[in-house]
Amino acid sequence: MSRTPAACAALAADLIAAAVGEASRPAAERIDDHVARCEGCRAEYRRYREVDAVVGELHAAPAPGSGRARARLLAELADLRARIVRYAVVDSPLGPILLAATEAGVSLVEYLGRARVRGSALFRQTTLEPHEGGAALEPFQRDLAEWFAGRRTRLDWPLDLRLARSDFHRAVLAATAAVPFGAVSSYAGIARDIGRPAAVRAVAQALRHNPVPIVVPCHRVIGSGGALVGYAGHRIGLKERLLDLEGVRTERRRGGVQVDRRAMYAWDRSDREYCLPTCGDISTRPIGRVTLFASARQAEALGLRPCGDCRPDLHPLEA
Amino acid sequence: MPQAPAGENEGDFEAVVARYHGEIHRYLCRLARHAGDGEDLSQETFLHAYRAWPGLPGDANHRAWLYAIATNLYRNHVRSAQRRRLAHATVRVTRHAVDVDGPEGAAVAAQMRARTEATVDRLPLKQRIAFTLRKLHDLDYEVIGASLACSPESARAHVFQALRKIRQALDRPVPTRRAPAR
Repeated sequence: MSRTPAACAALAADLIAAAVGEASRPAAERIDDHVARCEGCRAEYRRYREVDAVVGELHAAPAPGSGRARARLLAELADLRARIVRYAVVDSPLGPILLAATEAGVSLVEYLGRARVRGSALFRQTTLEPHEGGAALEPFQRDLAEWFAGRRTRLDWPLDLRLARSDFHRAVLAATAAVPFGAVSSYAGIARDIGRPAAVRAVAQALRHNPVPIVVPCHRVIGSGGALVGYAGHRIGLKERLLDLEGVRTERRRGGVQVDRRAMYAWDRSDREYCLPTCGDISTRPIGRVTLFASARQAEALGLRPCGDCRPDLHPLEA
Repeated sequence: MPQAPAGENEGDFEAVVARYHGEIHRYLCRLARHAGDGEDLSQETFLHAYRAWPGLPGDANHRAWLYAIATNLYRNHVRSAQRRRLAHATVRVTRHAVDVDGPEGAAVAAQMRARTEATVDRLPLKQRIAFTLRKLHDLDYEVIGASLACSPESARAHVFQALRKIRQALDRPVPTRRAPAR
């Protein structure tokens, strides 16, 4: 090999390629010709054929079993799949909103305000692994746009409430989800609904940390005095606008923003009838017992009858 | 835009796992000879792939894509292992003693196989990866180049360099129990 003639040296690379089956046809033919005449290269060629044969054996060696590894992988994939939360930021009349969903359902709706996405609660938790984008979010984005455009009154989304803090928290969210569009309940009312009438403050606290506002309509839950109190931190303005979108009138008073009870139908939940605000003493009954409606249609959608005394069906409130 | 139809269907990814897990697992077990490392790396490869799945273009070559992920993970694995070794400052020279892993007087073929494997183990990283991808997993040079961030031509050069070294190793006398001097 050390005394390889120049002709052989020029063919060295093609010789290997031909021996291991990687040469082009003309190159392979050149090598065939040369090897027939040159003894040194013939030996070299044979040696590489042997290399190729050994490599072929390695190629064909039985693979180690991968069944156990596969089973482990599938388990971890299922785990990962359940942990992934996909998010997108959507523009809304209330500013940018971060929308996030796992494969089980929507798990976060967050008003970003001027904060960056990285400042979102999504990056302050460790239960879920955030990933940006994903086609799975598109139907939610569409629904939300329709909601803000007034073309949709329900967001019947599957929810994943893993980011809720406790079973109590989840119970409060479930009870709040039952307050229909255009209706208003109170913290005391929700506390009663979940069978913990004394836990009014805890209910308020739980709704303050609602991971899915709008979808779980905590904006429909107000203080027992009729004031809008707390929303998404201190953003009462958002609550006002959401209620406005649902036809609930509010007014600014000294005590803050109040729901205008005189402009709403009322339902005492011990009853099956809804009333005009002027019926009997209904306007003075504690708001914890009463649900308010912006329109009679919303009350009737719950299966309530018009009150036989005040006849809201005959004397509807002005829209 | 990271919203290709590829990611829409979870079932599609399961099909990718079913189809390619075996060979990717084998590839990484070949590269990372220490038992366990290969399995962990193949695990990582598919978890990584799953995360990237929604952003993958619909017409992507899944097999080439998985090999590229696997190769990258393995190279990082080697780099961090090297860092760990340096950090511990115990320079161990004996890397792989040639171990003819068969009974005494095994067939010549078995010896040649073992010697080839030992030679492959000692190849520089890129040569070793290129050789494994080309000769043991039948990938074309375009894909190998993409996996190694080099041109198809240099991928081919790596493979041929590896073949020359194997050919030289097969020429040496049958090894004794000592590690051969390169």
